[in-house]
Amino acid sequence: MSHWEAQYQRSKNAATLDDDEADEPMPDIDLEELPGYQTPLQQLTRHWMNERHAPDILPAQDVLLGSILDHLRRQSETIQLLRGDPSTSEEDHMRIMLAQTEVERVKFIVRSYVRTRLFKIEKYARHIIANEEVQTRITAAERDYASRHAHLLDRHFHSSVLQGLPESQTALDDSPKLIMPPMVTEPETTRPVFAHALKNTIARTHRGKVADMSRGSLMLLPFSAVTDQIANGEVELV
Amino acid sequence: MNEARQYGELATQLVTESRRSTQTDTLLKYNDSLVRSIIREQRDLEKVADVLVLATVNSANPPPQLMIIQTAIARNKRCLLAYHNHRIQFLCTLYWSLGASLPPLLSAETTSIRAKLSPHEVDYLRSYHTSVMTFRAEFSHELDITASIVQPPKELHVLVNVVRDCGVIQTESGTIDFRMGHRFMVRRSDIEHLIVQGYLEEV
Repeated sequence: MSHWEAQYQRSKNAATLDDDEADEPMPDIDLEELPGYQTPLQQLTRHWMNERHAPDILPAQDVLLGSILDHLRRQSETIQLLRGDPSTSEEDHMRIMLAQTEVERVKFIVRSYVRTRLFKIEKYARHIIANEEVQTRITAAERDYASRHAHLLDRHFHSSVLQGLPESQTALDDSPKLIMPPMVTEPETTRPVFAHALKNTIARTHRGKVADMSRGSLMLLPFSAVTDQIANGEVELV
Repeated sequence: MNEARQYGELATQLVTESRRSTQTDTLLKYNDSLVRSIIREQRDLEKVADVLVLATVNSANPPPQLMIIQTAIARNKRCLLAYHNHRIQFLCTLYWSLGASLPPLLSAETTSIRAKLSPHEVDYLRSYHTSVMTFRAEFSHELDITASIVQPPKELHVLVNVVRDCGVIQTESGTIDFRMGHRFMVRRSDIEHLIVQGYLEEV
């Protein structure tokens, strides 16, 4: 291959790199034209917003997150390779910088998404380890983190308060529930959220009321009324 | 027990301290003596309750006095736990805002924070840090999840002033010796933690 051809090849690489970055599907299937199709990044952004607005932990998106993380890693490797190559042209450097900036911005969303979940996991750690249904919604790493965190808190309360108390009071949970709120923090699932319907759907509140949600409508509803709709993508939180 | 004091008065003082800490957004010194006196009060209350239980073991209804004492016990205990929990929450928020690193919290230089902690809290922070680092390792090939999530990055590079000497740092474009008073154009992700910890300042 002549030098010129190599150069051409590389600019083509750089061009596809940009395309990948925008997360556009390959041109052979015209997915963009399909209504409701979303690129992985758009999907992640939606899950990120849902997670930030929901009082409870939403189902983990490990497949999506995994593919985005793989993509990020490959992208960073390509960038490193092209940057180190002395024959990369000025114009390509400009492209690389754009790709790099985009990588940083995607990382920001991933980080914020992961940290939002981590925050909830810390808050509801004891609730999570006692509740198997919640455990199905989180990843293995998150599950480990929850049990570590609950254990840490228990130990701290025990060593700084409970071990000094008389024996009958050393349990962390209080039995007179009538006069005390429970010790275990649980997600407040009736908290109102702004739900934006992506498809025509129906929301049912716990009191048995039914609300028709037509596509594009925006409603203020208790979170528990739209939990399933969020999970199957009919509704997003805004 | 001091007869002039109402049940639960000390616990109220303790909770007031937490409230003050929230309102001024500062961490107050760990009030060891107050915590100890409340624990003492709990033991005294328990003794009184035991005597009452033994004295009325045959009667059908528990005496009203016992109900009051038990309520006081439960309340004191909850106040103690709330106080400790509040402090832990505060410390964790501080920990994350410093870019998930322990040295700024626990090093001897910044005595202001360390001196306010109880030994148990120092232990807690250490184990918490270990736990967070284990979780971070899950993502170590792609990104650092403990980096800042306050502002989405707009540009790759950032112009910084060096506020405090922080020695030689590895960056993407080689090593840079950050000396006080100098100004550098560097890649944000390389030095973001130094901005968070107050070594560098964005221009």
